[in-house]
Amino acid sequence: MEKVLLKNAETPDSHTVGAYETSGGYQALATVLRDYSPDELIELIKESNLKGRGGAGFATGVKWGFVPKDQDLKKYLCCNADEGEPGTFKDRAIMEKDPHQMIEGMILCAYAIGAETAYIYIRGEYTLSIQRLEAALKEAYDKGYLGQRILGSDFNLDIYVHCGAGAYICGEETALIESLEGRRGQPRLKPPFPAIEGLYASPTVVNNVETLACVPHIVTRGAKWFSAIGSASGPGPKLYCLSGHVRKPGLYELPMGIPLRELVEEHAGGARPGRKIKAVIPGGVSAPMILESDLDVCMDFESLAAADTMLGSAGVIVIDDNDCVVRVATRIIEFFAHESCGKCSPCREGLSWAVKILRRLENGEGKEGDLEQLDFLCEGIFGNTFCALGDGAAWGLRRALQHFRDEFVYHVEKKECPFH
Amino acid sequence: MTTTTDTTTVTVTIDGETLEAADGTLILDLARSQGIHIPTFCYQKRLTTLASCRMCLVEIEGHFSLEKRLQPACATRIADGMIVKTDTPLIAQTRQSMLEILLANHPLDCPVCDKAGECELQDTVFAYGAGESRFTDDKRVFRSEDIHLNPVIVFNAQRCIQCQRCVRMCEEVVGAVALGTAERGMDAEITGFGDSLSDCDHCGNCIEVCPVGALMSSPYRYKARPWDLSEVDTVCPYCGTGCHLTVGLRDGRLARVRSKYESGVNGETLCVKGRFGLDFMDGEDKLRRPLLRKDGVLTAVSWEEALSHMAEHARAAAEKGTVGGLVSPRLSNEALYLFQKLMRTAFHSNSIDSSTRWSVPHQALEGLFGGLYARRPLNRVLEADCILVVGSNVTESNPVSEYLMRDAALNGKKQLFVASSRPSRLDSEAAASLRLAPGAEAALLAALLGALSGKGGKGGNGGNGGDAPASCREFLECAVPALSAAPEVTILAGVDVLRSPQATAALRLLGTLGGALEAAGKRAGLQFLFDRPNQMGAWELGALPTVLPGWRSVDDAPARAALEEAWGTPLPSQPGADVHQMLARCEAGKMDMLYVVGGDPLLSYPDGELVERALSKCGLLVVQDAFLSATARLAHVVLPAAAFAEEAGTFTSNEGRVQTLRPVRRPAFEARAHTEIFALLASALGHDLGAATVADVFSEITGLVPSYGELGGDGGDAIGSGASVDGAFTVSSVSSAESAESAEPAAKVAAALDDASTAVPGDSQRHDSEGLELVTGDCLFHSGYVSGNSAILKTLAAEPYVEMSPREASALDLSDRDQIIVKSSHGEVKAQLRVTEDFPDGVVFIPENFPEIRLNLLMKQGEHPCRVAVCKEEEGLRDSVAT
Repeated sequence: MEKVLLKNAETPDSHTVGAYETSGGYQALATVLRDYSPDELIELIKESNLKGRGGAGFATGVKWGFVPKDQDLKKYLCCNADEGEPGTFKDRAIMEKDPHQMIEGMILCAYAIGAETAYIYIRGEYTLSIQRLEAALKEAYDKGYLGQRILGSDFNLDIYVHCGAGAYICGEETALIESLEGRRGQPRLKPPFPAIEGLYASPTVVNNVETLACVPHIVTRGAKWFSAIGSASGPGPKLYCLSGHVRKPGLYELPMGIPLRELVEEHAGGARPGRKIKAVIPGGVSAPMILESDLDVCMDFESLAAADTMLGSAGVIVIDDNDCVVRVATRIIEFFAHESCGKCSPCREGLSWAVKILRRLENGEGKEGDLEQLDFLCEGIFGNTFCALGDGAAWGLRRALQHFRDEFVYHVEKKECPFH
Repeated sequence: MTTTTDTTTVTVTIDGETLEAADGTLILDLARSQGIHIPTFCYQKRLTTLASCRMCLVEIEGHFSLEKRLQPACATRIADGMIVKTDTPLIAQTRQSMLEILLANHPLDCPVCDKAGECELQDTVFAYGAGESRFTDDKRVFRSEDIHLNPVIVFNAQRCIQCQRCVRMCEEVVGAVALGTAERGMDAEITGFGDSLSDCDHCGNCIEVCPVGALMSSPYRYKARPWDLSEVDTVCPYCGTGCHLTVGLRDGRLARVRSKYESGVNGETLCVKGRFGLDFMDGEDKLRRPLLRKDGVLTAVSWEEALSHMAEHARAAAEKGTVGGLVSPRLSNEALYLFQKLMRTAFHSNSIDSSTRWSVPHQALEGLFGGLYARRPLNRVLEADCILVVGSNVTESNPVSEYLMRDAALNGKKQLFVASSRPSRLDSEAAASLRLAPGAEAALLAALLGALSGKGGKGGNGGNGGDAPASCREFLECAVPALSAAPEVTILAGVDVLRSPQATAALRLLGTLGGALEAAGKRAGLQFLFDRPNQMGAWELGALPTVLPGWRSVDDAPARAALEEAWGTPLPSQPGADVHQMLARCEAGKMDMLYVVGGDPLLSYPDGELVERALSKCGLLVVQDAFLSATARLAHVVLPAAAFAEEAGTFTSNEGRVQTLRPVRRPAFEARAHTEIFALLASALGHDLGAATVADVFSEITGLVPSYGELGGDGGDAIGSGASVDGAFTVSSVSSAESAESAEPAAKVAAALDDASTAVPGDSQRHDSEGLELVTGDCLFHSGYVSGNSAILKTLAAEPYVEMSPREASALDLSDRDQIIVKSSHGEVKAQLRVTEDFPDGVVFIPENFPEIRLNLLMKQGEHPCRVAVCKEEEGLRDSVAT
């Protein structure tokens, strides 16, 4: 496939405004300011059928359309650059290699929703991304793409970079807003949804980096072009993060909806010599793993949901036959227990309980009843937590327990790990 | 009513019952109204919704199948056609799971937990839990020892279930933001952050709302089990807010005080004085027997001896009518009523006053108690679009009223305007706030009235504040348009209005302002923010020198005749002396007897030298109190009276609501109820006060005092039985002819503006570069002399302090916590300096009722505001080193 989001990635100094302009950057902005009303831009994005790339896959144009049109209301745009899902490194690539692409997307979105202030909430550990963004924003201001009367229009926009302090939960949009307001990073009750009452109780759109990076391309090349790429239900170019036990881990730009098997076996080179793929996590650790036999599933929101998992952040983690699923599950649940914000009791207390059991199993100290306790915890947590963090953890653990029950049972009965 | 929105009714089905309810009702509220119990931990009505404990999850058909998950009843609102199920096997299973998960790390140390027996977790597990836990691993332990957050609050992190009620209470209701949460996930722990715990009000509302034994009261710790307590519901004796509280005794001694969810004006909240300050009940130095001065020494005597001594000396005075009576507004309605009856019948004197801090002519007051006085619940009064608070640091003097004002501003989106001499926490919730020079309340009201009526007064000058300082002009620019636009306005007047030498003008202006707002087609209401529990009752029941009960002037012959008929004895027709005149007469040797019931004028009368001289020259000084007050130490006769919670009666709160005081025990030792002492004294003088019991007295009040008339009927009996009268509102007794409508509003405005002071509201005006103006008043921990008998409050407010702005402090080369001397031309006091960021320049504040300092020694009648100079204590130190 022709590269879209990564087309500049190999260009020298691709992060600079010059390189971006050379590749046609900021033309979309000029076009929109000249030819589009905010509503027309929203319509265009709706036509393109762009679905949010942060994980939930909500239709971007529809989300923008929820923002009230009331001129007197202050509105905000937040770019969610808090890329923290284990196995995910796509937003980072955009921010390091081609930050203007995302900034242009932000300006377009802000124009569409009537925001004059936008924030980039970025993962604090992404030092190079932060540097590149700060530099790119300065360039954009210098060039008149940001600030007052952008490109001579009546449209004004300021963008600020806000560094997260290391909490995974701040990637959840309402927790991101709380954190941005200076409060504890914990998810907020919905409704009201951010589009109605978000940052500082004002209408707010929160979009992922990759989502926003798609926007200039839709403007320049048209909604039809975009919607023709990959899955009709959720089209467009997509960044896939391949990691784990494959020959060629890395970042791949391919159409939405590509079969997972093709992604893993052809593009990422398949299993390492002498190994066999056992399972694959298709969308970051919040997405349950699927068995090798199910790899023909397509990488789009609907197909993966039908397979009882999700596209999530498209962080594809490959697990081969040399690895212990109990160990994988332990690391994942340890991660979620560590990152649980502590707000709701099933996630806070339940995950740490699960960790205690999983560590026991791993250490050969499993007891009879442990797996039933894990089953109970998955049932108790899943569907009952405040936000998706606990749900994702319990969902993944439940699927691991279902797919690889024998491995878990082995740990209990033999009091040892068959792999380590 | 502007707050009433069109509520549409929808049809919902809950547990098979189809019913109509207002659209948008919370499922939880609907269920509770139907008697369906849904367990919750994090939900608390007045706090923001958290929906984090996941105990209240319910099934919603349709919605349920769509989202594949249960929904929290505390955060989900009903919609038309919704079918809700709260009692299905799935819900039962989910509740059990939530509890098992929640208990995994809970220490289950119920046998040593204060909360056991009234613990929400314990009760909920008992009702919905599994009975056994599968959890076999080690529990999380935060720390091995409990943390003493301060002298009254202890925290056990292990027991905490992270419902965040305490944190929300502290931030959203109290506004202190002392508590917060540190760390996240399993490490999340309630704690202070930075220096936040130093902002703690010690109100203990966090303890009250804690569903488990995580936050506990130190004074109550390990004292009792809930089932060991005998608990009585009564009314707080500290301020006029009139909070309900429940006094729990074990073996006759106070164990704890708590508040109850949705009971009284306060609901689950109290302030530090109410929750922790009632320990004075068991004070060691309570009076045990009557005392009579013999050879200059107060000596314990029998009641007979004390009474006959009094009667002997009082008889002649009574015939001359040279007896004065000062009664505390902390007494019950029944005691206050009986006191004025005793004074007027047995002592033939109208010299009665019910404050030692001020006296204002009844003519200025009674107009306010006509239709303008809002005899409605405070939360209803706070539904007005605009709320003007004048002359009160309400955060410190009426904390619980302040909680409701914060709620009105933050959640009700009402516009709050605060004008006071001292900054308070409420300023940050206000649409605008103004620092008034001491005594400038009248000037501000005149400016407001002038601006609103477009006339301009001397202080208002064309409605823009004229030559008033910029701060005042800004305040008016914000407040005047808001008041003009508001369909409903509430005015809340604090006691600074009454302390001011301009009090009469200020009170008239309040009435005129109310009248002008009403004339403009608005709904207007006034309430006072009294810092004493029954000032309202004292005034309305005639504890004033110029009016009989029910605001009828003493020279109103028909009114007097009616009372003479009822009381069976002639009444004096000459107006009596107010507190100032009584003391002046004492000083001039013209007062043969002064009868002080409650209160401590020696410490609280705002002229220390005068009151001391006057009291020492009084022919017979009789003090009736539960404690040996400073005034009592000068007395000839001291009568031991019941303390709070030892006698029945009623208070009339700032809301105009009559609330029942229920005794928890009999007066200790030989102390007697106030009403009983009055009857004994009358009978020693050969008079019969009639009504023998508190219920009889109340019944007499309802028969004779129109504003209490509606409470008649069985009401009298209800005092004893605690039934129907409790919580009922008094009604306006001042006829409309006498109140606001009597004159044409415009004429009244003009007259009131002419009346008003020429002082300019706003920044203090200094007459010389050295002088600072002294403001005194309540602090959070003290209100009147009663709090001085509370060991706990004395611990919390260990030292008196002087508040000053950073600029003044640095100009005097002083720093925070310096020991300083405050000098007036009459005296000096020593205290610690507290430099407060937003304190106004030109003013210092010293809180009243710290027994260590005689604040009134700085003050002299007629010199208001009191001017003081401040310096470091070093000179004093040098002196002491030299000696």
